[in-house]
Amino acid sequence: MKLFARQTCALVKLSFIELWRRNDIFALVLLGLALMVPLSMATPFGADGASRYLDEMALLLVWGFSLFIALGAGQRLFPPEFESRTIYPLLAKPISRGRLLVGKYIGAVAASWSALAFFYVLFVASVLVRGGGFPSEMPQAIVLHFAFVALAVAVSLLGSLIVTASANLSLSAIVLVGMFFFGRRLPEYAEGLNPALSWVVKTIYAIAPHAEFFDMRQRLVHGWGAVDGGVFVVVLAYAVVYIAILLSLASFALGRKRL
Amino acid sequence: MSECSDIVQLEGVTRAFAGAKAVDGLSLKLKAGEVMGFLGTNGAGKTTTIKMMLGLLAPTSGSVKVLGGDPSDPRIRVHIGYMPEVATYYPYLNARELLAFYGGICGLDAKTVRSRTDSLLESVGLADAAKRPLKTYSKGMLQRAGIAQALLNDPDLLVLDEPFTGLDPLARIHFRELLRNLKERGKTIFFSSHELGETELLCDRVAIMKKGHCVYQGPVKDIAGDGATNLERLFLKTLGEAK
Repeated sequence: MKLFARQTCALVKLSFIELWRRNDIFALVLLGLALMVPLSMATPFGADGASRYLDEMALLLVWGFSLFIALGAGQRLFPPEFESRTIYPLLAKPISRGRLLVGKYIGAVAASWSALAFFYVLFVASVLVRGGGFPSEMPQAIVLHFAFVALAVAVSLLGSLIVTASANLSLSAIVLVGMFFFGRRLPEYAEGLNPALSWVVKTIYAIAPHAEFFDMRQRLVHGWGAVDGGVFVVVLAYAVVYIAILLSLASFALGRKRL
Repeated sequence: MSECSDIVQLEGVTRAFAGAKAVDGLSLKLKAGEVMGFLGTNGAGKTTTIKMMLGLLAPTSGSVKVLGGDPSDPRIRVHIGYMPEVATYYPYLNARELLAFYGGICGLDAKTVRSRTDSLLESVGLADAAKRPLKTYSKGMLQRAGIAQALLNDPDLLVLDEPFTGLDPLARIHFRELLRNLKERGKTIFFSSHELGETELLCDRVAIMKKGHCVYQGPVKDIAGDGATNLERLFLKTLGEAK
């Protein structure tokens, strides 16, 4: 257990260093500023509607940035190890492929969470500067967003072991963004199709990662209150199970990778 | 020596890729405290053999035992140090952070890692560049960082793949001395190389591979030193390239 803890700590630290020393940090700062500027412009208008609109835009940006960071973090876990051949000295150490996968995944999630926390600090700060309050549903929304980021890293990690980097990032983004915006409408859409297409759409709905489950932006912006505790727990459980399935598949894919 | 002192035991090992045999029926033993040079042309099967010794590849047939166990078991690899032929180590880390990272993967505590890092960086000549990002390192410096990470866990068996690649003459001399010191401390060293001169200077025994087969195994003292049967001549003769 001590060995696993030390190995995980080393992998988490590596992910943090890589994320915060890459150019990503500059992208983060620029994106953060891009978030702050429109929000600070809300003060002169003072109108409640305009403020809500900007909150909604800012939250959409936070979601977009976090997806960008999460997909990149997942993609960078293994392919660079193979390209730079560091996978060999790494796997020659007393660590199994399964542990390496889990440790690297935890590291990427922790690093992505740190970036997400940075974005939320900016968002909350901008809300407070404009005289707004801290919505009661905010903690729940943040927790679900963090769970979504963990899910996105797992999706990208699995893809990185199967297809090329560009294909993985494109496919992962299309699937997650598609489900985020259109996921809740798929069953309704399937009803209007012929049986074969309807079956295809329903199958996609059944197996695709439901990014929309984690989205509480509307509740935050309009103050609709927190979701029921039971629903909240079920969504978190869904994330845990889905991530476990993705990591199992990733472990299988990594095990089959020729060294 | 008794059989239990065999640090590495390969018995009839074959490894095929898509039907083509990269290593074919290789049997090899390495005793405790021995230094063995593993020679052969490109594509002879040296790196594939090393990967099997490290548990990175499973043999198609035959058995591989390292330190009395299966090298695919991480507990066995606690006692192995490995340096790959070419590796571009994490560019955003510096040498100190690189060793801290590998120390964590080996399960070493922070205090041990710190003390070993200082002495290792000193011995491989990277103490002055220890805080520079690895992306600013030359090939030779990366090679030295690779040597340091391989020695970090104070291994009983050191496996080196082309360790002299990229080293300047002075670094070669230092590295040779380092390996001699390790040998004096009873460490077992197995390295593949194209550098016949270094091999002759360092090794107790050599094995020569050709197209997946081991075509020669024997002590260096039997072949080296008289000018007529030095390692280079033997190597060329064994591979059928002698004029």
